[in-house]
Amino acid sequence: MAILEIKNVSKFFGGLAANSDVSFSVEEGTIMGLIGPNGAGKTTLFNCITGYYPPSKGEIMFDGRCMNGLDPDKVCMLGMVRTWQKVRPLAKLSVVDNVMVGALARTSSLKVAREMAMEQIKVVRMEHRVDFLAGGLPIGERKKLEVARALATQPKLLLLDEVMGGLNPAESEEIIQLILDIKQRGLTQMVIEHDMKAIMRISDRIVVLTSGEKLTEGSPQEVVSNPDVISAYLGESHA
Amino acid sequence: MDKTILKTAIGLIFLALLVAIPRYVESPYALHMMILLFMSVVQGQSWNILGGYAGQHSVGHAAYFGVGAYTTMMLMHTKQIAPWYGVWAGMVLVVIVALAIGSICFRLRGPYFVLASIAVAEILRLSAINLTTLTNGAEGILATELPAFKIGGTIVTDFVTKVPFYYIGLFLVLLTLGITYWIQHSKLGYYFQAIREDQDAAHSLGIHIALYKNIGLVISAVLTSLAGSFYGIYVGFVDPATVLGLDVSVQIMLICIIGGMGTLWGPILGSLVLVPLSEALRSNMITEALVKVGMVNADSKIGIFLKENLSHAHVLLYGILVVLVILFMPDGLMGFLKKMAMRRKQEAV
Repeated sequence: MAILEIKNVSKFFGGLAANSDVSFSVEEGTIMGLIGPNGAGKTTLFNCITGYYPPSKGEIMFDGRCMNGLDPDKVCMLGMVRTWQKVRPLAKLSVVDNVMVGALARTSSLKVAREMAMEQIKVVRMEHRVDFLAGGLPIGERKKLEVARALATQPKLLLLDEVMGGLNPAESEEIIQLILDIKQRGLTQMVIEHDMKAIMRISDRIVVLTSGEKLTEGSPQEVVSNPDVISAYLGESHA
Repeated sequence: MDKTILKTAIGLIFLALLVAIPRYVESPYALHMMILLFMSVVQGQSWNILGGYAGQHSVGHAAYFGVGAYTTMMLMHTKQIAPWYGVWAGMVLVVIVALAIGSICFRLRGPYFVLASIAVAEILRLSAINLTTLTNGAEGILATELPAFKIGGTIVTDFVTKVPFYYIGLFLVLLTLGITYWIQHSKLGYYFQAIREDQDAAHSLGIHIALYKNIGLVISAVLTSLAGSFYGIYVGFVDPATVLGLDVSVQIMLICIIGGMGTLWGPILGSLVLVPLSEALRSNMITEALVKVGMVNADSKIGIFLKENLSHAHVLLYGILVVLVILFMPDGLMGFLKKMAMRRKQEAV
């Protein structure tokens, strides 16, 4: 069953079409990879899906419900949560407090929220950082903190915007394992990533965007062997 | 666990001392200073809830202070309604004003919100000057005769001495401290701080930004209006400049900036610095002290200059103080003390 359906979504900024007529759907329990060159409109699409921008045209259906025009907080309460390409830690709060802010979406009790937060901190293996200030963490741990905080809101769909950007190979490997762990628990994920090797390994299906349009969609193997994709990434002569 | 017991014990002893002070201290001036201190703590702590925890730096809190003060005083002056009823009217009115301001100004972020908050307070100040039939204009309202406070026929207090005001002030301090403590240890406090640290991230985590900002504003405004009503009945006089002026807003904010924003004790530390300082300047104590020590000759040009001007220089000195605090203690006195404690701990290890 499709948990998320993007139907002919377009987003215009003045005359510029950041997304035009994008359609695809994400099956429950799978990982959808979203790739494309810089400026292809991947993050804009995330912003449309999570309520930061209203789409100019088209419809976003999540869990059988139209999400157009809902604010980000409503989107989160309905079970869809994102992380940020440029990480946004709550710098003056400790790691556990950061994750608790996420958990408080589902409870009003600080005690329960703390338990929920500790659970997610365990998932991202940051138990040794519980009382550290989020602002003082290195980038790899900030990225993991983002994931833990998003998970604490108990989502049905997790949208990860370049969680591996700026990480070294060992840290990326850790994140890959984390994403696969999360899949094991039955959570649907949509992942924007530039690291092709990583996205090939984790995705069940991949959507390729270029210049705001959907170029193609398919399994990782189908996508890499598609000449259009190769020419979009490497230029015509390589296709 | 021992530490919390120790802390509670120290707190209770301190509270008992504060309660006992009027029994043993008869000097009205000393009580007056304590009352000013209480008022300052209440103002600072109220601002702290919105500015320190939720990160919405309002430079227009004079609006709420003034509305509280004016409502109570106007009702007492024209309708002979006792202030302990008028206070409630003031609070209701302030909630309406705060929600009106919040629904407009919270569309703006950062410096734009600051400018809008100043503008709103100035609109109220100019209204108070010009709506002369209602507010008596720039002349202000004088109402020093307070009715006696009775419960079931027996007079509890007739407000002749400063003692009842002292206890009202102390009660308001405990009230605002209690509310701040409760906020700090509840979902509300977490959400306020999340909004302060990163509004977009907070929004994505299911926090209704406008709702929580308005909750913060209403709590902050109601407590500020209580301080305003208290000021009105204590001084017995309000006019647009003293309760609605821009310098009132700035002073409220300074208490927190100097003491430490977003901390429970910051506004108290800030008040302990600012109240004695402004009092010393106002009463020309500093010039007198300099003359006494012999650093300045009272009849020299410098001595005369200081005597004439230093009492009006509080705004200048506040400015210098803010610059120093921002340069050397960006997290206020509270942040500075915490840093020193951390350093000592590390050195001990």
